[in-house]
Amino acid sequence: MKGLAGVFLLLPGAAFACALPPSVVLTLPTGYYMAGAAAVVGLTALLAAGTGKVPALTCCRIAEGPDRLPQMALSYLSFLILCALLALGFLGAEDPMHNLLTLGFWTGIWVALPMAVMVFGNLWRPISPWRAPVRIARLLLGRERGIGLARFGAWPAVMGLAGFSWFLNVSVAPQDPEGLARVMGIYWLAVFVLAVAEGEDWLDQGEFLTLFFALIARVAPLWAERRDGRVARYLGWPGAQIARMAPFSRAEMAFVSLALASLSFDGLSETFFWLGLIGENPLEFTGRSAVVRVNTAGLAATWAVTAGLLWAVLALGRRLGGERFAAGPLMLSFLAIAAGYHIAHHLVTLLGSGQFLILALNDPLFRGDEMLGLPTFFVSFGFLTDPAVMSLIYAAQFAAVLGAHLLAVVLVMTRAGSSARAVAHLPMTGLMVVYTVFGLWLLSTARGV
Amino acid sequence: MTRRTLNKAEPSRRAVLKGIGAGLLASTVMPGAVRAQGAPIKLGFQLHVTGIGASYGRWYQRTADAALKMINDAGGINGRPVEILYEDDGTDPKRGAEVVDKFVNKHGCDLVFGTLFSHVVIGSAPRAGELKVPYLVCSEGYHVASGMLNRWTLQPGITDARSQIVSMAPWVAANLGKKVTMIFPDFAFGHDHRDFFTAAIAAQGGEVIAQIAVPPTETSFTRYFPQIPADTEVLYHVMVGPAVLTFVKELGEFYGSGPKPAMFGFIDSLEAVDIATPGLEFLEGSHFWEGHNRMKPADAGEHEAAYRAAVGVDDNGASVSDPKDVATYSHMFSAWETLYIIKAGMEASGYQGPADRQKFVEAVEAMTEIPYGIEHPQGAKRFNGKTHQVFGTQNISQVQGGKLVRVHQTSIEDGLYDDAVDYTAQPF
Repeated sequence: MKGLAGVFLLLPGAAFACALPPSVVLTLPTGYYMAGAAAVVGLTALLAAGTGKVPALTCCRIAEGPDRLPQMALSYLSFLILCALLALGFLGAEDPMHNLLTLGFWTGIWVALPMAVMVFGNLWRPISPWRAPVRIARLLLGRERGIGLARFGAWPAVMGLAGFSWFLNVSVAPQDPEGLARVMGIYWLAVFVLAVAEGEDWLDQGEFLTLFFALIARVAPLWAERRDGRVARYLGWPGAQIARMAPFSRAEMAFVSLALASLSFDGLSETFFWLGLIGENPLEFTGRSAVVRVNTAGLAATWAVTAGLLWAVLALGRRLGGERFAAGPLMLSFLAIAAGYHIAHHLVTLLGSGQFLILALNDPLFRGDEMLGLPTFFVSFGFLTDPAVMSLIYAAQFAAVLGAHLLAVVLVMTRAGSSARAVAHLPMTGLMVVYTVFGLWLLSTARGV
Repeated sequence: MTRRTLNKAEPSRRAVLKGIGAGLLASTVMPGAVRAQGAPIKLGFQLHVTGIGASYGRWYQRTADAALKMINDAGGINGRPVEILYEDDGTDPKRGAEVVDKFVNKHGCDLVFGTLFSHVVIGSAPRAGELKVPYLVCSEGYHVASGMLNRWTLQPGITDARSQIVSMAPWVAANLGKKVTMIFPDFAFGHDHRDFFTAAIAAQGGEVIAQIAVPPTETSFTRYFPQIPADTEVLYHVMVGPAVLTFVKELGEFYGSGPKPAMFGFIDSLEAVDIATPGLEFLEGSHFWEGHNRMKPADAGEHEAAYRAAVGVDDNGASVSDPKDVATYSHMFSAWETLYIIKAGMEASGYQGPADRQKFVEAVEAMTEIPYGIEHPQGAKRFNGKTHQVFGTQNISQVQGGKLVRVHQTSIEDGLYDDAVDYTAQPF
């Protein structure tokens, strides 16, 4: 395809009729935003490290009572909905913006649900489409023991996330309903077989979506703890749960670094910078099929750089600050960054594809139904060219990225404890500043896809 | 499959049409309650849902859906209902070829149409040729008429870039000036403008005194403006992509309130963007090529209102549901007009099924004059069966008070050029 692209340039009349829409964000003073955010993150970290004072991430129990959530019934329902969506993937519209499977998964589960989870706690757990089928299958098969998968910890989830990241960022047509249905069906079945063999609880550490939602839910100010048929509900500062979490295992650290890298590459791979680097003209991008290999390498390199930087600043911090600078507890703070990035990165997708999702939920078979009671409407992208709206959107993204890094700074201080030497925080502070600027740059630079 | 048929009329359109007086529309196009019967004719629409063509794809789909509804409401084609199957090609040539294959071999489509982006056309046309399936593109590219494609590929619904560009030269030379500086992105799209316009303005006694090629990855243009010669009378600009607003802003800063040359551009730069967007004030008074005027001209044809109502576009060229959502108005009529060419071609050839695909191509090749009407709301056209390319009128609009006001319409003859190929001499 690359060869073909070269041929295009030599032929008369091979020009594009048109190209990408103009970007309002490119005309905003985003440089000032970046500089300001970098200064705020850096100064906050220095001030906190210097004084040893950080806000206490307090929380309180706001309710307690019997747990009436019908988790198994919800899981069955979720499984049935999944089956219906997979059927739609195979038999419904080929056009992804008119197929509820594509919209439901990419916009609903992958973009919107994590945002809800960041506020209301782990909403995924009760609607997992595996839990109930696995339980009933184990009961019917009389299985009570596992096969030893637990000893791999979260590594299977790391593998799952790696495969998912590749599918999302690199594969040629992740939105194609039929292809998506095939991948989702195979993945559901594989996880089902493993969980039946090992046990329902294995899902919590071995399945990437379950682990992703459990981790991202830790930034939520609202959460519930369920034990012995009772539920306690809590309200706290964002990150209050992270301040009390057990340190990460190596696999969980790999998982979080991969989640960060995947989000970063999702943004990076669309930039003029990246397209220029790989020899693509961003104004006539030859399509995902032409860049599978180079983007696979790019995704892997982004993960390597992310993990390498994290390892380096933690090692340097430990050298400067001693044992209290252990990686496991400090890596927890990157959960906040992953959450903030997710919001910032996917906000425009939510506002755009979200309209298609609402349209599809209202009328799943596109035959004129009004299941949500909404009159049918035209999807509109007018906001993308409205400077007033785009300024607000950029401000919201800015707030998400900056807020996430400030929370991360507070969490690093909290988890490192006051006994760690102030100087030990310098490498991590440097990384936080770099990451803040990088995140905002990704949102404000020219994009070609 | 996203199937839009007679009995499953697109709901979103239906509701909106209801709100904007669809009665008028229905009364003009529904001669009684005509009902198509029999197995539907299946048309594959190669749609850019994702990738760099997505912003156009959305409007192409909306326009094609509107034309489909009108055709089915009027009895379908050859008495049969019509279905459109939309497949996303990801604005990707390789996927484009796969989509053509899928339409033919999996879905049994009668033909394939609707493709906008040239590289997808060029990637898909060979497969259409191998499968011997008619492939009607809406890409504006000169690649059809240049002879690089095949007997099965036709462009009957939109004029090509070469024709658009050369037809601008007489008016530009007569009204704006003869010393032209061109500023364009340094790739095939820009090169077409450079080559065709330079020759066309020379034929009018004018001259391109400077050609400023800007690398496609550039997002700031200040350093290129000093290259504009001081004696430039007309600045011809065809920048496209995310940085267009920056280009206009920086050009405005460069000239300030001092004297500036007349400016002429192609609306491709600002397609789907409100011309009154803050930051575009510098364009006031400048001129643009428009394929189909987004702002309804005072002297618009009698079918313009019905076309806009059917697609759900207001008199400013924006969606009836959101005045900020400006349509890709200069281009999207091609989806509508191509569908009506398909109807006319199938009716002329007595098309019954895939065995008649060759007869259909021959019927389209035999077309010549295409009159203005609701089937061709952009204007009358002339089809060249040898080059498989249609020719039509073009429009020049001036930005007046933040609105694009048509000041000139070219003749079909202004955009004609010598044939480079005779596809009818090629075997099927």
